[in-house]
Amino acid sequence: MATTIPTTRPLSLTGPIGLGRRVAELIPGLLLLAAVGYAGKFIERSIATYTKAHHITFPNIEYVLWAIVIGLVIANTVGVPRIFQAGVATYEFWLKAGIVLLGARFLLGDVLHLGGISLFLVAIALTLSLTFMHLIGRAFKLKPKLTSLLAIGSAICGVSAIIAAKPAIDANDEDASYAIAAILALGAISLFTFPLIGHSLHLSDKAYGLWAGLAVDNTAEATAAGALYSDAAGKVAVLAKTTRNALIGFVVLAYAIYWASRGEAQAVGNKAAFLWKKFPKFVLGFLLISLLATLAVFTKPQLTSLANLSRWAFLLTFAGVGLRTSLRDLGKQGWRPFAVGAIGEVFIALVTLGLVYGADRFLHL
Amino acid sequence: MPEATAAAPRRGISLDVYAVTLALILTLLVRLNLIPPIQW
Repeated sequence: MATTIPTTRPLSLTGPIGLGRRVAELIPGLLLLAAVGYAGKFIERSIATYTKAHHITFPNIEYVLWAIVIGLVIANTVGVPRIFQAGVATYEFWLKAGIVLLGARFLLGDVLHLGGISLFLVAIALTLSLTFMHLIGRAFKLKPKLTSLLAIGSAICGVSAIIAAKPAIDANDEDASYAIAAILALGAISLFTFPLIGHSLHLSDKAYGLWAGLAVDNTAEATAAGALYSDAAGKVAVLAKTTRNALIGFVVLAYAIYWASRGEAQAVGNKAAFLWKKFPKFVLGFLLISLLATLAVFTKPQLTSLANLSRWAFLLTFAGVGLRTSLRDLGKQGWRPFAVGAIGEVFIALVTLGLVYGADRFLHL
Repeated sequence: MPEATAAAPRRGISLDVYAVTLALILTLLVRLNLIPPIQW
């Protein structure tokens, strides 16, 4: 019977036999990711070819949307059989590898310029959203730790932040799974609403990408929401989201200290080690590749190859986003965590939209 | 007695490290022209 796909699965490699067995377990799911992703690309190309040949005006629907929709249909009709689940759960691995490779498309100067603006906006949005989430969590009488997890998930970076925060604040499994389900549901909704809003407001690629990167919770959904708008917007969305991810350690540390001070979590020992442990290491890989590209280590065709490798990695990610979203599970969580998450998300989307408008006008994106 | 800390128990190498390693290996292969140009 099909069950929900775990959002992350730690790789535990115990010797060559364990490694071989683990890799063999991944193959069916990897093939499914590739098939769903490629089907999305095939449909986009086929529609474009057909409409061009028959002189029909039809909006281009990106492969990203097709891959997600095909994945959603499979996951919520026949389900994802157990044999595929380990491989499908690797979508986050491909996301991170894709982000590192995407570094080849950025000059370090652009990273520092846009990353600096993102960092400034993230700091403002973070303060406002954490405060707001706690106020509405209290108004809806949610358990304080569930509210903390929802606040961290929606203000910083979705599922990874919740997973990072759970042991640090001694939250229980039920609260973490509620928060993750709410964040995933809202992420799925934002995939369809953000591009529509962006187009209706005529946002530039940079402004939209920045907005998606600042407002959409999960890195996979933020990347997809950006790519659904345009290739350039996708690039900026990843950069803004990566900046947001880099702050995960600081926010989780602040919460860990807060809950420890109330005697409801263990004390944090070495704070620098704690920050390093929570720091997303793929950010360093992204910066390294960007630095190499800036130093002209690669030729133009090599840069194109690296950018295309990044696109292929994202293709697997987008297929995974659809395949791991279970609409049935989302209904089981109860309405209150979802309502708090949803109200918080709308608030964050509006605040970040205002910030992006301001940045576009005064900081010249 | 050592102070209890909020750090999670070690569970091997993180996913990030594997992802960065794969990306760097691919980058090296591309740089040394050991794989054909990647098309999209």
